[in-house]
Order: sequence, then structure tokens, then C-alpha cells
Amino acid sequence: MTLKAARALSETVAKACAGAYPDEACGLLLGPVPDGFDRPGRTVAVDEARALPNGWDASAKTNRYLIDPRLLAKVESELSGSGRGVVGFYHSHPDHPAWPSPFDLKMAWPCLSYWIVRVDDGRAADSRSWQRTEDGRSFVEEPIVLEG
Amino acid sequence: MTVEIRLPTALRAFADKQEKISVEAKNVGEALDALFAKHDRLKAQLLSPDGKLRSFVNVYVNEDDARDKQGLATPVKDGDTVLIVPAIAGGATLTAGAELSKEELRRYDRHVILPEVGLAGQKKLKSSAVLCIGAGGLGSPLALYLAAAGVGRIGLVDFDNVDESNLQRQILHDTSSVGTSKLESAKKRLAALNPHVVVELHETKLTSANAIELFNKYDVVADGTDNFSTRYLVNDACVLTGKPNAYGSIFRFEGQLSVFGAKDGPCYRCLYPEPPPPGLVPSCAEGGVLGVLPGVIGTMQAIETIKLLLGIGKPLVGRLMLYDALEQSWRTLKVKKNPACPVCGKNPTIKAPIDYEAFCGLKEKPVTAIPEMTVEQLKAMLDKNEKFVLLDVREPREYEAAKIPGSRLIPLGDLPNRAAELDKKAKYVVHCRSGGRSARAVALLREKGFDATNVAGGILAWADRIDPSLQVS
Repeated sequence: MTLKAARALSETVAKACAGAYPDEACGLLLGPVPDGFDRPGRTVAVDEARALPNGWDASAKTNRYLIDPRLLAKVESELSGSGRGVVGFYHSHPDHPAWPSPFDLKMAWPCLSYWIVRVDDGRAADSRSWQRTEDGRSFVEEPIVLEG
Repeated sequence: MTVEIRLPTALRAFADKQEKISVEAKNVGEALDALFAKHDRLKAQLLSPDGKLRSFVNVYVNEDDARDKQGLATPVKDGDTVLIVPAIAGGATLTAGAELSKEELRRYDRHVILPEVGLAGQKKLKSSAVLCIGAGGLGSPLALYLAAAGVGRIGLVDFDNVDESNLQRQILHDTSSVGTSKLESAKKRLAALNPHVVVELHETKLTSANAIELFNKYDVVADGTDNFSTRYLVNDACVLTGKPNAYGSIFRFEGQLSVFGAKDGPCYRCLYPEPPPPGLVPSCAEGGVLGVLPGVIGTMQAIETIKLLLGIGKPLVGRLMLYDALEQSWRTLKVKKNPACPVCGKNPTIKAPIDYEAFCGLKEKPVTAIPEMTVEQLKAMLDKNEKFVLLDVREPREYEAAKIPGSRLIPLGDLPNRAAELDKKAKYVVHCRSGGRSARAVALLREKGFDATNVAGGILAWADRIDPSLQVS
């Protein structure tokens, strides 16, 4: 599987993640819903990254993020019938590797791309994308292919 | 009651790509049951094995969260919309992430019982990533020990194939891998040594264009490169990305070791602001190297790398260790941070990787005025007993191993000082291994007023086309 995006979009994501430091940043990845979205080999082409506020309470924003389900439902209904949808999420790991944490796994949904950006001292560093396996036991890394 | 269930993008793949599904139901629980009856793969995604809604699933009836009402018993009426919305949450863990399996705990036991490492340290190693520049002499022991130690991700950058002449020191590779890719050979060996680590192959030349992106993906970079242009590139990219560089280099019987680019520590440029003129310092291919030497230096790089990852001990920052295998001695010199350093100083002028081949003088093409001759022309001159001096500017060891009969040895590095011994009236024909060093020698001699001509292709061409009995490595 693969996550495709324009280079400029990846810079937007990196900037949003760096800007939120030391808190975690989060947002939606939008794009055409691919055929066979649940297939392990699927490709997701992200054409828009939409930043959302981190809804976790202030005590743990540095290592947790939460997206308000109402905001998510709003975007889903906005895209309803258009062939596009929420194909993934991005979030940052301040001063932590861009690998999914056990908590990420516990909360992860299938099919979607989970794009994680490591932010060190306010600077976006490693950037990796992951897809949860259907059985929910693990994440598999997918290459991020940047275009343009 | 007919209600419409709306699925989020993530779940549609489990329901034949449908977004809206109509079902008959009196409450939320019945609506979901009817949904699962139609699309059984959805059940495992939404319900835990004991039949409860998973914590990351939100169900809304119209605008209201079912949890705030009566949960699954929340009644629905004709025309209601039941909305399934993912609760999207996650985040970095508080403790270093990786967990260790029983197998891994057994494997790393001698680490774990060290109080300086412990379980926390071993987990730290597992969640760490190291980039090794070069899978050759230094990269071999380095990658082997990092893999054995359980460093979670090991990246290797190289683009060479295994050559027979590598096997005298590059213990990652073996006889059966001669002629195949160094990276594939390394991956095979490392996976056999420790299947718990991930080996990432970057089969490419490290360049100014790809270094920053690559380095960003790792925690520590270990420089085991064999040339100056890559060494300066690794140094600059490490400083620019804030990654420490566990540096090692080898030549003949001597090795160097340090940690550059650490926070507040000096970098390679602080020690050596400029590369030596091209050709002055022969490479291992030209000057030779004791096979065990990279074993000593590469292993020390592995030690420094692991110390940096664990944050233990005193890293070799601000210190340069010099090893002499013949004397069997170590010397440690202090290296100070240079405030005027163009890359890590107070007012850096290098803010992105530069053109390192130009910086190291490698793009300096031999001046066109340098006259050249072929090995056939040289052979004809020798056969005719023409009067000229055949000058060999290679290193003494190369000269001893194979030479063109009648040649005189003056290594390129000695030439500036020894040109005075030469007769200005004589005619000089200059050769080296492949023609590069001799071109510089010819330029130098002509500058001083000598009549000098370069032999294109050097002794390699001679062995190839004139005297195949000559063994030149």
C-alpha cells in the first residue's frame, strides 16, 4: 500500500505539526475513496489535508490527540456522494518516533492511512504512514510517495 | 421503523462501498444488528468480542450521541439517521514505545541485566534508528553489532556490488555474494543474525539532494565512507538535521574516531575546514588497508552509536581518537568547536548541502593543455629506445606490486618537494593507476617548466592492452 500526496501538501502537514509543538497536532486526509480500500495493497491519493483542533484535554495534549466526532461527521456529510472521503488522519509525535504507539493501535480504524510526523524541538523530522491490519493486531508501514 | 445508517469512509469497504444503508429497527442496537446481518465483516470492526461497542466507535442518532441517551437501547423512529462516527484519537506513548517479546528478552538478557541499559534501555534501542553510510569495511562490524544489539531500524546506504577484493575486511559479505549487491548481501546476513530488527536499504549514492530527507528518518548517523566529498556531505547534513555523527575513518594501519555534530560539540569541519588537495591522500584502493583495522574502528563506532542512543557514558564529543595498529597505540586529541565554522559556527554560511565534488576539487578537470599519449604510443617509444623518463606517481606499495619496466617512482604527494631532483632538459612521460593522479603530476611539472606528458588510462590500460601478465589491483 502507498500514500500519495503532493510535496506541497506534505509540507503543509509538516508545518502544522511543527507549529503545534509541544502539543500534538492532528487533522484529516481527504481524497478519492479508492477501490478496494480494505485491500492491504491499496493506494490512497490524498488531495487535501485539513487541520483540526486537538480535542484532548490540556493535561495530556503533548502525547494525546482527539478529533471531535462532530467535526468529523460534518466533513463526512460534506463529502457525501462526491466520491471523495476521509481516507486517513495525520498527527504528530512530539519528541517521539514516527511509529504508532500501543494507544494509536488500540484506537485505529481499518483501511485508513495514519500519517505520523515526528517533531523534535519544534522541527518536523521523520514522517511515516501506517495502515492497520484488518484484524487490528498491528500496523504496517506504507511508503509516502511525494509528487511535484 | 425505517432508519438510515451512514457509514464513515473507513467502513464502506466492508459494506460493498455503500455509504447509506436502510434498515428496519426500533432502537440503535437493532439497527446495528440489522446492519451486521447484511454486512458481517462490519461486526468485528465495531464490536468487541463480548458484543459491546468498541471504545473508538461513536454512534449518533441524528445530532445526539447515543451514549448520552440510552446507548444501544436508544429508540429510533421512522426517518432517523444513525450515524457511525470514528472516535479518532491516538498519540505518542509516555514511555519509550517498543515492547519486547519473550524471545527478544532472552536474546538481549546480557544487556537487560546491565543497570545502565536495563529493560528501558533495550526498549529504547528497539525504537531507535541508525543510518550507516557505507556497507563496506567500517559498515560491516558497525551494522553487525547494531543488529545484534537490537537497534530497531538500521538503514544502509551503498550502491556497490561485492568485489573479491572487499572480502579481506568487509565481513558483512562472503564469497558467495561476490558480484551481487552489497545491500542485498548485507540484508541477508543481518536478518540471519537478528530477525527482530528492520534493515532498510538505500541503494543510491548519498547526494546533496537526498541526504537531508534521509537523515531526518534516523536518530544517529554513522559515517563509514571512504571519500572526502561524501564525508563533508555527511558532516554538513548531520549538523543541518541535528543528528550526531559517529565518525570513523581508516587508512593503511591507522584509524580515526570521533562523534561530530552533537549538540554543542564540534563538527568535522571544525577539525578539518578544508579537504586535502585531490589525490594527495590516496584512497584504500590506492594505498591499501590492513583488513582487521576497520574491525577495530567500526566496532568503536558501534559503541559510540549505542551510547548516543541510550544516553549513557561519555560520548566521544570534542575528542578525536587516533589508532595506530603497528604501534598498537591510541592517542586522544581535543577538538574544539570553531565559532567561525561555516556550518556549525555562530554565523553559518552553509544552510543547505553544497556541491561537495566541487568543494573537494574533484570537478577540476585536467587543464586541456595537458598532453596525453596512449599506452600503445608509450610501448612504441620504449621499443624504439627513445630518450625519456617514465615517471610513476603512485604509492610505493602499488609500485612494488606491479610496475612498468624502467619506470621511476615519485609518489604524487612527494612530487612538489622532489621536482628539484629532476632534470629540466629531459622529457617526462608520467603514469599512475588509471591516469588521474598522473594528470595532476603533469600539470604540476609543466607549471614548473618541465616537458611532461600523461599516459591515458595508466598502468591499468597497460596491463589491459600491452602486458596482460601484469597483475594490477
